[in-house]
Amino acid sequence: MTDSKAEKKITRKDIIRVFWRTILGLQMGWNYEKMQGLGYCFAILPILKKLYRTKEEMIKALKLHLQFFNTTPAMAHLIVGADIAMEEAYGISNEDTISGIKTGLMGPFAGIGDTVFVAIYRTIVFSLGSYMALEGNVIGALWPIIPAILIWWVRYEFTVIGYEQGRKIAVGFANQLKQLTEGAAILGLTVIGGLAPAVVKANVPLVFKTGDVELKVQDMLDKIMPSLVPIAIVLLSYWLLGRKGFNSTRLILFLVCLGVVLYNLKILG
Amino acid sequence: MEISLWQIIFLSLYAFVAQLDALSLQISLGVPLMAGFVTGLVMGDVSMGLTVGATLQLMVLGVATYGGATVPDFMSAAIIGTAFAIMSGQNVEFALGIALPIGLLLTQLDILARLSNTYFQHKADRYAEEGNPDGVARMNLLGIFPWGLSRAIPVFLGLYFGSDVVKAITAYLPQWLMGGLKVAGGILPAMGIAILMRYLPLRKFYPFMIIGFVMAAFMKVSLIGIALLGFALAAAYLYLKGDLKPQAEGGDIDD
Repeated sequence: MTDSKAEKKITRKDIIRVFWRTILGLQMGWNYEKMQGLGYCFAILPILKKLYRTKEEMIKALKLHLQFFNTTPAMAHLIVGADIAMEEAYGISNEDTISGIKTGLMGPFAGIGDTVFVAIYRTIVFSLGSYMALEGNVIGALWPIIPAILIWWVRYEFTVIGYEQGRKIAVGFANQLKQLTEGAAILGLTVIGGLAPAVVKANVPLVFKTGDVELKVQDMLDKIMPSLVPIAIVLLSYWLLGRKGFNSTRLILFLVCLGVVLYNLKILG
Repeated sequence: MEISLWQIIFLSLYAFVAQLDALSLQISLGVPLMAGFVTGLVMGDVSMGLTVGATLQLMVLGVATYGGATVPDFMSAAIIGTAFAIMSGQNVEFALGIALPIGLLLTQLDILARLSNTYFQHKADRYAEEGNPDGVARMNLLGIFPWGLSRAIPVFLGLYFGSDVVKAITAYLPQWLMGGLKVAGGILPAMGIAILMRYLPLRKFYPFMIIGFVMAAFMKVSLIGIALLGFALAAAYLYLKGDLKPQAEGGDIDD
């Protein structure tokens, strides 16, 4: 009976619906227990409704997709796409495979995705935006909308790629992404190198007087290397973050205290 | 300047929508840069909003929610800090001095929102047992409220009860603290940079960071110029390594 509708069940329209539901809903129900599990089930729901007509199948499918899930939202599209293809082909009878692929891919995909779509994306988009905004340019605040919409397109393509290639190629695609990650990391690190002197402000007002000679410490430091103090603070922060039990919240508190102390010692101002 | 009720309501609604955007479409409503700008726009001081938003943005550049970790809420903090500074006629340093502790404090509400959603997950699990897909979908959508309210409520309360509180704060803040916070605001972006350095493969690709630094510090190249250079270096690296093939050019002239 199920075989009668086995051919070509999923249409492009279904894929587009899942694409939007993944963008809009994947993280709405985010919770500590199953993380994006609730959102994943929400995203793939139109497919489940189309494929599974009996109550038993639906219960099985809902339970399967409510399981723990967490990855970079953009990468989830590849997984959900591949998932659709498999369920279309094999149905819910193959739930171990589906569950295995979901959990098997979400980890490595998060590793790549967090680097490309979160760390590097944010570095480039928002450092340029903030830089412009600090110069009073309104475009700085508004321009991140453009790359954001480009990312929607990427996410749509990911859904289609995931669906069309199924599991095998989705895994192969991850290797290509690794090369892309390397390139993106180089771009990101170059920008970060330029960002430190551009945005970390640390001026040394200290002046030494010996007789008639006035020695401005900042001028001396500049002769050694411009932006010496900013890069030193960056490197200190980098080193501190590598220490056990030192997280970003502690670093904020540390830098605030450092600022207050150095100001009152008249070293920075 | 006094804040009017419609401004408070608008900014609270903005915070609600901005958080949902951060979870879904991600058109950047939920970042401090945009929050500061919008607040500046609503309160009539765009340049203040841009500066506060951009400064907070640079501080939290690398602080992103990897794998669902909770981070300080500098989006709501940007709204409150910018609004307070404009209301009390103060400067950017004042806004940052207010925004920083608020952002840290609001971390707790993010945790609360994520905890509240666990309730919806449990209900969804029950709907699944009954084979009720629409019930499951509804539970996911209900997550909108803990998420949105975790931002809208503090912004509303902060701005509503704020103006008197702000005046009291301004009267009491001593110079050693205000000056210190100003310096702290200058060096805090180092944190965002340091976190990104931790996240990216610095050990493998550190020469590129040095190149970026030299271009900015010694040669005063703008950040956009450095980004272009970084793109070129990345492409060159992949070509030389053989991972990417340069696009084949058209017909050879020598033939």
